[in-house]
Amino acid sequence: MDSRNPTESAALTEPNPDPQLNPQTGSAAAGPTISVAGPNARASLRPSRAQGTIELRDLHAYYGRTHAVRGLDLAFAAGKVTAIIGPSGCGKSTMVRCINRMHEEIDGARAEGEVLLDGLDLYDPRIDIVAVRRAVGMVFQKPNPFPTMSIFDNVVSGLRLSGAPRGEIDDRGREALVAAGLWEEVKGRLKGPGVGLSGGQQQRLCIARALAVDPEVLLMDEPCSALDPVATLRIEELIGELKERVTIVIVTHNMQQAARVADTTVFMLDGELVEIGPTEKLFTTPDDERTEQYVTGKFG
Amino acid sequence: MSADPHTLLLDRGNLERRRRVNRAVEAVSIAAAVLAVAVLVIVVGSVFLKGVDALSWHFLTTPTALFGEAGGGISNAIIGSAIIVGIAAAMAIPVGILVAIHTTEFAPPQISHPVRFVLDILNGVPTIITGIFVFGLMVEGDKQSAFAASVALAIVMLPIVARTAQEVLALVPGSLKEAAHALGIARWRMTVRITIPTAAGGLITGSLLAVARVAGETAPIILLSSIVGQGNLTDPGEALASIPYFIFQASESPKPEAHTEAWAAALVLIAFVLALNVVARAFYARSRNRMGA
Amino acid sequence: MPETRTAYQEELERLEASALDGLNLVSDALQRTMEAIEHQDVELAQIVVADDDRIDGRYLEVHQSLITLLATQSPVATDLRLISALLHVLKNVERMGDQCVNICKLIPLTGNEPPADEAMVKLILGMGSQTRTLIGQAKRAFAERDSELARDLVRQDDVVDDLNRDCFRLALELGDDADRREWAMTMLLAARAIERIADNAVDIGEQVAFVVTGLFREFEDASHPA
Repeated sequence: MDSRNPTESAALTEPNPDPQLNPQTGSAAAGPTISVAGPNARASLRPSRAQGTIELRDLHAYYGRTHAVRGLDLAFAAGKVTAIIGPSGCGKSTMVRCINRMHEEIDGARAEGEVLLDGLDLYDPRIDIVAVRRAVGMVFQKPNPFPTMSIFDNVVSGLRLSGAPRGEIDDRGREALVAAGLWEEVKGRLKGPGVGLSGGQQQRLCIARALAVDPEVLLMDEPCSALDPVATLRIEELIGELKERVTIVIVTHNMQQAARVADTTVFMLDGELVEIGPTEKLFTTPDDERTEQYVTGKFG
Repeated sequence: MSADPHTLLLDRGNLERRRRVNRAVEAVSIAAAVLAVAVLVIVVGSVFLKGVDALSWHFLTTPTALFGEAGGGISNAIIGSAIIVGIAAAMAIPVGILVAIHTTEFAPPQISHPVRFVLDILNGVPTIITGIFVFGLMVEGDKQSAFAASVALAIVMLPIVARTAQEVLALVPGSLKEAAHALGIARWRMTVRITIPTAAGGLITGSLLAVARVAGETAPIILLSSIVGQGNLTDPGEALASIPYFIFQASESPKPEAHTEAWAAALVLIAFVLALNVVARAFYARSRNRMGA
Repeated sequence: MPETRTAYQEELERLEASALDGLNLVSDALQRTMEAIEHQDVELAQIVVADDDRIDGRYLEVHQSLITLLATQSPVATDLRLISALLHVLKNVERMGDQCVNICKLIPLTGNEPPADEAMVKLILGMGSQTRTLIGQAKRAFAERDSELARDLVRQDDVVDDLNRDCFRLALELGDDADRREWAMTMLLAARAIERIADNAVDIGEQVAFVVTGLFREFEDASHPA
């Protein structure tokens, strides 16, 4: 965790009408907080939920020589749910993993272009990559709670292991469990093993864990694929409740799910953006013929 | 064309022959398994039978008698062995686990593959050679010491600890590391607080197995710490008694009581090794459960 | 691209064909109705009334199958618009059939004597024939998703409306004659029923635009005269 010169980070961003107080210097610093002054500063920042816009500019992603994402220009509105649909191999998971810079963790993988979180380019070389992942959280296809930790320890693991102030951890952990709709079910056994829950509960635990670090954006990579239908519907409900608080981007194979939960839907094919629009429009009167073919199941 | 379609399913003479072959193969494999188990039972059994007479509380708590006298025990050998093996473990286990962590978590394949290979070779080096090497390094021109024996044993333990640790760390599911990354947890923190605890059972197993292996290593001891009597010495700078060396010496003695004492010492040693193996297995099972969840 | 959902596609095509074929049934019913009026054929009129069961049966069967498709196949985009349009078309077909029945039920009332006024009968028959043309055009417009052809239905419908007004004026004149007054009013009811059938055909044309563009706009109705 390197400490950053606050005025330097102000130079990285465009002027922002919501100035935030930097606790170290007391002066107003423009733009989002992710690379400012280390993790301890975060707790007091982030005034309103009017942040969390993501914009991709000419994003390319490669696995070695394979060109998986080709020149994507795309924006995700804050406080909304955007679904990404498309056939297998179209690059949707890859694109999403570029947003929280997980893509480059893979051997031989790289990304080019810009990913702007509230106007700040996450690929700027001065950015602390670990801090990016606290601002942009992720939930995976198969629930993956840490097996050596209790339920509560799981939820606060992101907080503990990134140096959040001790006094806050309990409250934020509880709040995250409430937000994930899991508090009532586990409040009596917070010390129990994280892996002792059902599949749907484990996934909600992972969601709580991601929420506890207070991200602005939550990426979900087919979060319900491994769950039964009832658990799936519960999580879809949860998504609807959470979108006020975090911008949600959900990759899904299930078109009906996209139709149910998303405000905006993006259709990708062969690494390119085919169509983006309000969900009702994409599913009743899509503009592009390929979108029409895909959503009606003529291919994919 | 027959009227009954089920004739295709009827036995055409093959069935009996197949059954016989099955039973024969089964019998042979059972025999092999029985043989393997029998060997261990016979070894442990004969050690027990031949040594149990000399085994007593007195035997375990009295140091070895001086030249020619009877009525001694192996307390100094036990303590000496404990010190030698203990120091060796203190050196080899942390280094072995760290090497494993480096190769599985941080090193690129260009480094981790050669390191693995080197460790495998080291594993195969005969212990007498390791003993001679340490002899030339530390004893020649100086004197024998338990510490030198520990160094040699540590060299023998290192590849065992490292390789089993590598295997176990590699078994930690990638999804856990992904989750940790996605939470913005720094790499080393993830390794210390998540990867290692998850693999802990296996790491302990590897360590215990390594200890069990070197507890009875004799060649380095002969070269580096070959002493039998002289009371309860505990200074690692000096040569200390050890159980393997006691067995070696006692078995060469002309007196039959000495032989029995050798068997008794062997019994102590093998009981220790067996106990370690059982505990190691228990930890391994616990670790498997954690990973599978 | 590999073929997927062929069973679903074929089912949808079959249901569309079945719904549109209902228009054939209606057209035939209308023709027979006109014959019954022309020849004062009470028996023919009763056959038309009985045959309406076929049209109703067609409505129920296709309607049920469409609902099943909605439940089981989660149709979206064009498929969904098509199913919605077909549900409307079915309703229109069923109404058209009922209007024919209404006309045929009038026929025994007019008695078995020769019609009271040739001119009026000619007007009615003219409306009937024009309406049959309308029905055929609506069917083609839907089957071929031809928006232009659908729009043209409005113009065709205007002809029917004009003939209807002529019937009205003629009926007023005939109204002075006490003997023929009842007959004239009955004929007026028949004319009105035919005009309703034509309107239903225009409604089908509006569905064409919905299937093609997803937008629903009335061509013209009582509140938006052309």
